[in-house]
Amino acid sequence: MTDLPILTLVVFTPLLGVLALLLIPGGNHRAIRWVALLASLVSFGFSLALVGYDPGGAEFQFAEDLPWIEAFGMRYTLGVDGLSAVLVLLTTLLSAVSIFYSWVPITTRVKEYYVALLLLMVGMLGVFVSLDLFLFYVFWEISLIPMYLVIGIWGGPRRIYATVKFVLYTLVGSLLMLVAILAVAIAHGNETGAFTFSYTALRGFAYADTLQALAFVAFFLAFAIKVPMWPLHTWLPDAHVEAPTAGSILLAGVLLKLGGYGFLRFSIPLLPDAAASFAPIIIGLAVIAILYGALVAMVQPDMKKLVAYSSVSHMGFVMLGAFVFNEQGLQGAAFTMISHGITTGALFLLVGIIYDQTHDRQIAHMGGLGARLPHYAAVFGLFTFASIGLPGLSGFVGEFLVILGAFAYNGFVAAATMLVVIASAVYMLWMFQRVFFTVPSDWMRRWWPSLRDMSRNEWIALSPLIVLVVALGVYPGPVLEMLAAPVERIIEAVDGAGLTGFGPLW
Amino acid sequence: MDYVDDLVTLFPELILAALVLVIITTDLFLPRAYKWVLTPLTVAGLILAGAACIVVWDINETVYAGFYVVDDLSVFLKGATVVIGILSTLFAPSYLAARRIPLGEFNTILVTALIGMCVLASSSDLITLFLGLELMTMPSYLLAGLHKTDRYSNEGGLKYFLLGSFASAILLFGIAWVYGLTGTTNLAEIAAALDGQMSGALLVAVGFLTVGGTFKIAAVPFHYWTPDAYQGAPTPITGFLSAGPKLGAFALLIRVFAVALEPLSADWLGIFLVLTVLTMTVGNIVALTQVNVKRMLAYSSIAHTGYIMAGLAAFAATDDEAIAAQGIESVLFYVLGYAVMNIAAFAMVGMLQRDPNRYGGLNSFAGLASRAPWRAGAMAILMLSLTGIPPTVGFFAKLYVLLAAVDAGLAWLAVVIVLNAALAAFYYLRVIVYMYMRDPEAEPATLDSSPFGSVALALSVAGVVLLGIFPGAILGFLEVSAASLF
Repeated sequence: MTDLPILTLVVFTPLLGVLALLLIPGGNHRAIRWVALLASLVSFGFSLALVGYDPGGAEFQFAEDLPWIEAFGMRYTLGVDGLSAVLVLLTTLLSAVSIFYSWVPITTRVKEYYVALLLLMVGMLGVFVSLDLFLFYVFWEISLIPMYLVIGIWGGPRRIYATVKFVLYTLVGSLLMLVAILAVAIAHGNETGAFTFSYTALRGFAYADTLQALAFVAFFLAFAIKVPMWPLHTWLPDAHVEAPTAGSILLAGVLLKLGGYGFLRFSIPLLPDAAASFAPIIIGLAVIAILYGALVAMVQPDMKKLVAYSSVSHMGFVMLGAFVFNEQGLQGAAFTMISHGITTGALFLLVGIIYDQTHDRQIAHMGGLGARLPHYAAVFGLFTFASIGLPGLSGFVGEFLVILGAFAYNGFVAAATMLVVIASAVYMLWMFQRVFFTVPSDWMRRWWPSLRDMSRNEWIALSPLIVLVVALGVYPGPVLEMLAAPVERIIEAVDGAGLTGFGPLW
Repeated sequence: MDYVDDLVTLFPELILAALVLVIITTDLFLPRAYKWVLTPLTVAGLILAGAACIVVWDINETVYAGFYVVDDLSVFLKGATVVIGILSTLFAPSYLAARRIPLGEFNTILVTALIGMCVLASSSDLITLFLGLELMTMPSYLLAGLHKTDRYSNEGGLKYFLLGSFASAILLFGIAWVYGLTGTTNLAEIAAALDGQMSGALLVAVGFLTVGGTFKIAAVPFHYWTPDAYQGAPTPITGFLSAGPKLGAFALLIRVFAVALEPLSADWLGIFLVLTVLTMTVGNIVALTQVNVKRMLAYSSIAHTGYIMAGLAAFAATDDEAIAAQGIESVLFYVLGYAVMNIAAFAMVGMLQRDPNRYGGLNSFAGLASRAPWRAGAMAILMLSLTGIPPTVGFFAKLYVLLAAVDAGLAWLAVVIVLNAALAAFYYLRVIVYMYMRDPEAEPATLDSSPFGSVALALSVAGVVLLGIFPGAILGFLEVSAASLF
């Protein structure tokens, strides 16, 4: 380990980029784009150091710890375990991809746009590396506002409705979580005399059952809205449809993961008894989300909305895997998050490519693109199959593990989710067929002469994702190895846990 | 003579009083073209008063036969008063000039009100308390009606005056009852005379004091004067009215309820809880429906009153001194943070009213981000701070109150507060929607960009952000200040 504060550098390099951007005149688009890209790439470069995470070593590595607001025991504590290391890498990569991809499509208010994206990056990365609950909350909220602006300023026609809905949903959940964080810290402080927000100190403390149950509900609301879990998902399709392409990539690729990460990092280890007792309910909701997302995706006329609903379904897998509390399930949940980030990010990017040319995403307006745009069709096909979960691509590993875990938990749950895997093949393949095969629609014929296949920039933006989606599918070993220790800890935490104070809840 | 020696402890107040005289005299001799000198002059005087606060810090003496106390609590509040004074002075001139409101009068009246706030903060006797209150509110009435040729300003000033003096009378009546029941007007002696037993007569006294006091902080259901007074007053002055007299009134509440009526805290807690919840909820719900930013901020200031009162409720709800102190600290922090962000937010509305016919509608904010990116950015930060998004002072202020409430066993109140904050997000963020996501009007409002205003805006935004990231810088002062009550 070096003495360099790697995590601070990863998180705050984008902020330096913001400061640099503020000094550049707004009309100098070229400089703005380069500075933004450079900031994100430098941050990505620093994050590559996390590959050196030692799975057999200490739980939290690259740790940093400085006093912040000492009167309240709030500290600037950073550190990563295998789970957060992988997610940090995903975040820096997808951010750089989004920033690079936005070069061409974003032409208005360019400076503000990149400022927002870089601030978003700071918030998201901060969430993954914070080991102080208060610091975590601060970053959690910081990640909210830039996305609000990205959707609201550069989004589609109903952008204001969508963005306000997104913010209010998220804010209600997160503010309740703030009360829960305070309640947990105070309960711990009153008992031990040491008032702290340190994650490692608060974890493993035996909180009273009532507090656990109430705090869990508050955490659950915050994270479940972010994931989003059925029935709290209604902001997602709106937000995705209106968001600009890069916004969608980061929303699906990273922001939803904040919710999943929150469950794995905070809800379950902090409040294991409540987590164990509420698990059946959450598993039920997850199964509904998987089914519901798939069925609704099937009937969507809009490509972007279809991918958005498929996210609801995929994130249902994450929740299911997280709450069956066995090794396969949890590993699958974490792996699905990563794989979903890559595939869905890529799919949104691909939808953006056709949207930038035709300003339309209606599936009925497409058709026959396979003949006109063969490269585009090939890449789209690759990610379609990854999304379905074809063996050999990254989607398969996660879903397979989750279903294995679900089998160990309950055969019926597993059987139900198996069926959905077929449904996901239906909606994705059906969309692929209607867009790329068949005959071009009359509408599309008008655009026919002006269509172009993937540009160099689009290839550059997509190539890391293409490599990863294949590499993780063929050889998931290193990532699973990183995830092994965190998963083990979660299982230990919930082993034998359960609320006893007021009996079973149902 | 003790009384002469004691003058040292009045250093800040004396400087302010001298400043009033200096302003009046200078104003007389300044030719019209040089009136702007009054602004830096006043600011310099206020900075001097702020420096005087440092001198009297940690004196902790009761002077003038128990009528006046210079403890750290009062000094902290005086420091906050100076901050409010400086910001108000800097924001006002160009707005007033556009409407031909004389600057000298404004500065004189403002500083007089500041003296009232200082006296209020330092009072250890009901008599001084009432004197301070009137010294603060009388100039406030004048300020609200300062735009003599504007009928809304007249209406606002008159309403403020009528209802305000009514409230003062009620408060005075309460004071009389307390004197009758305890035989003293000294706050500490009142607390000693009360044995913690509620009686019918005492209930009447507490009732009158509660009504009078909560009238002054504009708590629901005694808030009806607020929107009209705030909307009618010249906009930068509204900023002062929403922060200054509120700080003074909270000083009054702390002195009366947390000192004199402390033995009865279990009894007044209930009514405070009801008022707290009512105030924040009604304030927010009504603010949701406003399309005039000035009026919206007026209602939102009612909601903030509710959050601040929650800190007092936390004080009353616990027997643990450390937690009770935390309640008071949260009130102090919130009052200061709120003052900075709210004065600046009102000033931003004022900057868009360079044309006197504009009344601060949401539309005047449309597309501001493309016309004036820095100012729009500043306003956005202020709105986020008022919403309570980190890392801003507004967030930490709310956090402080939440912490105190949860610590004092009022977790349900914390939940009510955060649900209200989510509600408030809707109307605060709407301003950002207009600034960043809408196109400008056909004839956008001309933007005032006077140097004083810009400096003050930069200062307040810097304060909002820095205090949000490093609140630790003043937490030490807060602890000492609150500790002087126990």
